[in-house]
Amino acid sequence: MDSTDESLFAAHRRGETEAFGELVRRYGDSVLGYLMRMTHNREQAEDCFQETFRRVHEKAHTFRGRRFKSWLFSIATNVAIDGLRKRRRARVVSLNQPMDCPNDEGQEYAAVAVAQNSCDPVQEAIRLEQKQQVRRAGGSLPAQQQATLVLAYYEQLTYREVAEVLGCSIGAVKTQMYRALRTLEKQLPDIGEGAA
Amino acid sequence: MKAHLTKRDLIEYQFKLAEDARLRHIAEHLDGCASCRDELRRLRDKFSALDLLREDVTASEELMSQVVAQAGARAAPRVTAFRRPAWFRAVAAVLVLGLALLFAAQFGQEPMPRRALVEELPAPPAEPQPSSDKMLPRARVEKETAPLRPKRTLPMARAEEEAFAKLRETRARVSPAEEISEQPPFAPASAIELVTLPRRDKVQLTIYNSADLTLVRERRNLTLKRGWNWLQFMWANTLIDPTSLSLEPLEQGDKIDIEQLVFPARLRELGRWLIRSEVSGQVPFEITYLTSGLSWRAFYMGMLGQDETTMRLQGYVRVANSSGEDYENAQTRLIVGKVHLLDQIAELAKRQYPYGKPIPMGVGRYAGYGYGGYGGMAGRDAQAWYGRLDAQTVTAGLGRKEIRKEGLSEYFLYTIEGTETVPDQWGKRLLSLEAEDISVKSLYKYDEERWGGRTIRFLSFANDDEHELGETPLPDGAVRIYARANSAGLLSYVGGTDIKYIPVNEEVELNLGPARLVTVEPKLMDFGTDNYRFDGKGNVAGWDEIRTWKIEVTNTRTLPIEIEITRGFGTAYWTLQTDAPYEKYDATHARFQTQLQPRSKQALDYTVTTYHGVREQVLSEE
Repeated sequence: MDSTDESLFAAHRRGETEAFGELVRRYGDSVLGYLMRMTHNREQAEDCFQETFRRVHEKAHTFRGRRFKSWLFSIATNVAIDGLRKRRRARVVSLNQPMDCPNDEGQEYAAVAVAQNSCDPVQEAIRLEQKQQVRRAGGSLPAQQQATLVLAYYEQLTYREVAEVLGCSIGAVKTQMYRALRTLEKQLPDIGEGAA
Repeated sequence: MKAHLTKRDLIEYQFKLAEDARLRHIAEHLDGCASCRDELRRLRDKFSALDLLREDVTASEELMSQVVAQAGARAAPRVTAFRRPAWFRAVAAVLVLGLALLFAAQFGQEPMPRRALVEELPAPPAEPQPSSDKMLPRARVEKETAPLRPKRTLPMARAEEEAFAKLRETRARVSPAEEISEQPPFAPASAIELVTLPRRDKVQLTIYNSADLTLVRERRNLTLKRGWNWLQFMWANTLIDPTSLSLEPLEQGDKIDIEQLVFPARLRELGRWLIRSEVSGQVPFEITYLTSGLSWRAFYMGMLGQDETTMRLQGYVRVANSSGEDYENAQTRLIVGKVHLLDQIAELAKRQYPYGKPIPMGVGRYAGYGYGGYGGMAGRDAQAWYGRLDAQTVTAGLGRKEIRKEGLSEYFLYTIEGTETVPDQWGKRLLSLEAEDISVKSLYKYDEERWGGRTIRFLSFANDDEHELGETPLPDGAVRIYARANSAGLLSYVGGTDIKYIPVNEEVELNLGPARLVTVEPKLMDFGTDNYRFDGKGNVAGWDEIRTWKIEVTNTRTLPIEIEITRGFGTAYWTLQTDAPYEKYDATHARFQTQLQPRSKQALDYTVTTYHGVREQVLSEE
């Protein structure tokens, strides 16, 4: 389907359910990826994912004259930040996770076991440890800086788009980005050339 | 040679955060500067770690189908245009205009803007400015610094200005360096991260006399870093109740959260506070807790004047500390009144684990203790310190302190002026009241039924204005009365007693014990019966008993005395014939009161007739 986001969304507003499905498929991966990087937890990201598209559906009448992608990510950002706040108030540990792995690190450690069969399990273990460090560094950022970094760096949105999503000026986005990078620069692991 | 690029320049260049012109300038510099190119490469390598998380995330078909199905289950939102009538806009415009005018009328005539008031003050000493890349948003900095300036136009006194400058220096500043992690740490990574409590700046002790309970309020300046801080508090070898611990910031309360107090496993008698701080630097905190082992006791010393009609009364409190903790320069407050306690603080304090150690039931020697079990540490004798500390009472260097007294509902609060250092295992005596020339009345009493054949001396006065007292109730305590033995000032001990709490305007009667120099000797001089009555069978139905007594009172003192002699007759049916003045004290007792000159004797004669059986009716017939 070559329709633009906006035309699909207009069709959804007219009651065409296929249009909404197409939008979910078009942005499913990137929204889930964004929420994963914001929450660092697959289960929570999937919850936020459902909540995001529920709001998109229910608040469709409030969409006016913006780019759909920015509007979608602004809703996802609000959902993610709400989730982070709730999570901060009451820490939740999934019963599905192994003990001693409060987040989805359990998956990572499970991956180490899989990596035993790979060509270099030691390197794989180091890489997983570094990923954990990066995740922790990103998770330590304030929600606004985290959202700016993920949108601009991982989701490849322009600063103008990020400003639209976050509802602030481009200057503010750049400031948030700079602060996030200054913080990360002290916390990111040294992975060396070609390690990534 | 041109200066090298800063880290800020390089980050802005790498992530295109600066203006185009600036980016071009940086690019030109990089072309000609190998050092900066190396630094940029290092930064790129550093940030390449971010790409570790750039893995593809795929939303599962199931998840997306679920979302679409949920949306389909709900009715598609209907978009209906709200057609506003023309009058709606007119009403809205009038309302907006009215609100604007109201706002202007309220705030448009402020006599002097706040900024002008601040500017008239002398400039505070310069503060070290944070580096440019650490500058806070302007509004936030002003919010932090504004409350430090008093809002007034008068010039500040020099001392006040210095105090103000000191306050500014010590006051914590917002450190904008790093944002605080969302996740609180589970535990300090190492002992280095722990902040142990610094010395107290101030401490206030409120000692409850009726219970083994003291409320301790300490003020300490803690040095916090921005972020999460662990503060370790140990109460080993003290009697502090760890369940009562509380910590509150006295300043910057909106930027400091006391998240939790944890009692780590396997570490006994210590707790750790987790503090989230948005400021770095020194912040005053108040720590409060209850402890056992501190107590106070009142005692009084009275010195009778030469004629024993006046007395100088001095009240003291002795504060004793066996809590295991030294309290330096403590403001001491003493509470008179009963306190209801659910737990004995000393018992709580002696627990190895504040809330009890969870021990599996039925395991080894701990079987049966269960949750909160405690291994039976022997209790310390709470009273033992009294005797032990008598010899240690510290009076050296004791200035005269005023004790301020305040009523607190059913309690009474005494605040000792200034501060006192009360080291562990020491006691300290403080003067609480001093009154000169209290008019007192000495009275000797003789009552065989109460004190046997001894004469007891009493000293009475009232806790009221007339007796130079009456400001406060007098707490329980021991009283010792001395008298001047001769004109040279030598003292003799007259007697002592314990008094109960004496409210204001109540009379105090001190029992000073037996008086050896005043004796009372009753002698039965005659006894007879009379007026027998018989019933119809010839049995005795009633009779009178007549006793004649002579009571000899001897005063061997060099002072006149007043004595009260109480005589009991064993029945309520009696009559008395005597020339001595007396009063009927109660149904079965008469009381004589007389005065004796120094070194004199006096005899009281009386005849008492008691009526028995049907003769008892004689009195009612009369």
